[in-house]
Amino acid sequence: MAAPTPTTAWPTWPFLSRGRNRSGGVAEATAPSGWRLRGDRGTASPVREYLEVLGVIGAVTVVGWFVPLTYRAFGHIYLLAVIALSLRVGRGPVLVAALVSAVAWNFVFMPPRLSFSVLHFEDSLMLGTYLLVALIGGQLTARIRAQEREERSRERRATALFHLTRALTGARTLDEAVAAALDQADGLFEARTALLLAGDNGTFAPHEAGAFVLDENDRAVAQWAAYHQATAGRFTETFPQAAGLHLPLLRAGKVLGVFSLCLPEAAAELSPVQRDLIDGFAAQIALLVEREQLRGASEREKFFAESDRLHRTLLDSVSHELKTPLSVLRAAGEKLDTEDSDKRAGLAVEIRTATRRLDHLVGNLLNQTRLESGGLKPQLDWCDARDVVNAARRTTGEALANRVFKMEIPADMPLFMADAPLMEHALANLLLNACLHTPESAPITVAAGLENSDGRERVFVRVSDRGPGLPSALRDQLFQKFRRGNGARAGGLGLGLSIVRGFMLAQGGDVVAGDNPGGGACFTVYLPHQAHGSVPNDER
Amino acid sequence: MSADLTKPELLVIDDEVQIRRLLRLTLEDAGYLVREAETAKAGLEEVNRAAPDAVILDLGLPDLTGGEVLALLRQKTALPVLILSVFGQESSKIAALDAGADDYLTKPFSGGELLARLRALLRRIKPAVASNTFRFGSVEVDLARRRVTKEGRTVRLTTMEYALLQLFITHRDKALTHRQILCELWGPKAEGQTHYLRTYMMRLRRKIEDEIDAPKYFQTESGIGYRFVSEP
Repeated sequence: MAAPTPTTAWPTWPFLSRGRNRSGGVAEATAPSGWRLRGDRGTASPVREYLEVLGVIGAVTVVGWFVPLTYRAFGHIYLLAVIALSLRVGRGPVLVAALVSAVAWNFVFMPPRLSFSVLHFEDSLMLGTYLLVALIGGQLTARIRAQEREERSRERRATALFHLTRALTGARTLDEAVAAALDQADGLFEARTALLLAGDNGTFAPHEAGAFVLDENDRAVAQWAAYHQATAGRFTETFPQAAGLHLPLLRAGKVLGVFSLCLPEAAAELSPVQRDLIDGFAAQIALLVEREQLRGASEREKFFAESDRLHRTLLDSVSHELKTPLSVLRAAGEKLDTEDSDKRAGLAVEIRTATRRLDHLVGNLLNQTRLESGGLKPQLDWCDARDVVNAARRTTGEALANRVFKMEIPADMPLFMADAPLMEHALANLLLNACLHTPESAPITVAAGLENSDGRERVFVRVSDRGPGLPSALRDQLFQKFRRGNGARAGGLGLGLSIVRGFMLAQGGDVVAGDNPGGGACFTVYLPHQAHGSVPNDER
Repeated sequence: MSADLTKPELLVIDDEVQIRRLLRLTLEDAGYLVREAETAKAGLEEVNRAAPDAVILDLGLPDLTGGEVLALLRQKTALPVLILSVFGQESSKIAALDAGADDYLTKPFSGGELLARLRALLRRIKPAVASNTFRFGSVEVDLARRRVTKEGRTVRLTTMEYALLQLFITHRDKALTHRQILCELWGPKAEGQTHYLRTYMMRLRRKIEDEIDAPKYFQTESGIGYRFVSEP
C-alpha cells in the first residue's frame, strides 16, 4: 500500500468510535499547525535527528581520542561522518554536524589538544575547506534526498490513482464503481470513507457502499461543503470539530456529491501529500460520477427516442395490420347474410385467411412483448429435430401446403437441448418468411445436423429457399424489429426475424442469414450440442 | 334433455359468452347436446347435478385454475375433459393434463379440429377394443400375445418399446405429458429424463410409422408430450 511512511507515532490508526470526544478535535485544530509535510524528516522529528548528529560526532571524537593518528586524518574521518549523516538526516542537523565536527576537530585533535588552537595559515585553510566541503556535501545530499522523497510520494500518488482508475474502469455500474473507489480509499488513507450523491431535491444521500456512517453533524458539514463548494470539516478552518473531512465533488461548477473521509482520531494533521492524494481521489470520483450520470442520461435519451420511434412505427403498422383483416372480416360477415350459397364459400375462405393473419400478427406481437419484457424463461429440454420441424410445419399451415417441401435430417441426428415451443415458433417464422418472399413454385428445404465450429460441435437447423435471395444492403438490419424486406408483400410487421433471433439467443443459440449455394436465401439457427445421459437399453 | 337420449351431452365451462355461443352453435350442429357454465364452481355443480358425457373446460376461468378444477372433478368422476387454452399458458396446460385432463386445444382453433378431438375422446369411453387385437393403419397389435405386425410382417419390439406402444393404445387420442409417460414406463425417478422418451419414440416411430419424417400416429405436442392418433 502506498501510504506515506510516518516517522513518529502513527503506526496504527485505531478507528474512531462514534462517540468521539469533540474537545480533542477542537484543541488540535486550533493549534496553528497548518499543513505540514509529514514525510519531511527535518521538521517531523528534529530533536531526534539533532541528537543523532551530536551522538555520531561525539562517538567519532571519543573513539578518535584513543586512535594514534595525525590530527589531519581526523579531518577526513569527520568529513566522512558528516556525509554519512547527510544520507540520514535533514539539512539543519547536517549543518549542525558540520559546525560541531569542525569545532570538535579544532578543540580535541588539533595540537595543542583540548584547547582551541591558534591556527597557522595551513591549518585554517584546511579547516575552512573542510567546513565548506562538509556544508556543501551535506546540503547536496539532503537536497537529493528531498527530491527522492518527493519523487517517491509522487509515485505513490500515481500508483494510488492508477489503482483507483483500474478499479473504476472494471466497474460496470455506478454502484460497482463507487464501491470500488471507496474500498480503495479506505485502504489508501487508512480511513473510513463515504460518498454522498446529489439527489433530486438538493439533498445529498450517502451511498450504501460507504464505511463511514455520517452522523447529523457531519451530514450538516457535508451539506455545507456542497453548498459552498469548499472543503469543510476536520483539518480545515470550517467546522474543524467535525469527525470527517468533506470534499465537494465539482465538475463544471456543479456539485455532484460529497466525498467524506473519517481519518483515525490519532491522526493529528494531514500532510500536503496526503491532502493532494485526497484531492486527486475526489477529482477521480467526481469524474466517475459525472461519467455515469452522463451515460445514464444519454441512455435514457436514446431509450426515449427509440421508444418514441417504436411507438410510432408500432401504431402505424399495427393499426394498418389489424385493420386490414378486420375490415375483411366485417365485410365478409355482413355479406354472408345476403350472398347466395356459392359465393359464401369464397367469403369463408376470405374470413379464414383474415383470421390466420390476425392470429399470426397477435402471436408475433405477444412473442415480441415476451422477449422485451424479459419474461421469457426458456425451459430447455431434449428435443428431436424431426419433431420440432414438423411442429413448425404444422404452425406454418396452409402457406406451405402447395410447396415442394424437403426435409433433410440424417438418421443419426442427435437430440439437442432447446425449448420446443420457442424452436417451433422460430422455425415457423423462418418457414413463413420463406413462403412469403419466394414464388410459390420455389421449393423450401429444411436440413438439420451437427457441425464443427472452432473445435466445438453445434446443432444446426437450416431453412433454405430458391427465391431471389437476400439483398446485401438489407443484411445487417435483417434481425432488427420493424425491418421489412423491400420486396415484401403487403402484410407483416417486420417482427418475424427479430423474434427468431430473440428466441434463439434466449436458448443460448443464434441465427445467421446467408446465401443458399445455387441461389436463394438460407437462414440457419444454431444451438450448442451436448451429449445426453445414457438411456436404459433393452434392445434384444 | 328428454328429447334425445342417444345424443351425447357436453358441458362447456367458459367465462366468455361469445365462445360459449359459438361452441353451442358448432356442437349442436354436430349433434351434441350442450350445457353451459360461466365459472368453475358453477361447472362443478352442473357435473354434480347430472354428469355430462364430456366437459370442455377453459383454462382462463376467473375463480379456479385448470389444475384445481381437474383435481375436484377427478375426485368424483373419470369423464373426459378437453381443455381450451391460449398461447403462453403452457405450464397450466401441463398441470391440467397431469391432473387428468384428456386433451387440449389452443385458441384460436378450428371447429373441425374441435369436433375431431371430441369424437376421439368419446370413442375412447366406449371401449371399442372388444377383441384382443387393436388395428391402426396397416399395423395390428395382438394384445393377448403381445405381437405386433405391420403389413402382415412381424415387427420386433423390445419390452420397453412394446410397453410404450401399449400405453399409447390404452390412452389413444389423448395427450400424454412427458411426465405421465416417463412415470408409467420408467418410474417416478425418471420424471425429468426426457431423452429416454425421445430416444424410444424415435425407435418406435422407425418401426411403426410409414414415413419417419412425417409421423402420422405418434404425434408430438411441443413442450407437452405425445399423442397417439389411431385414426389420423
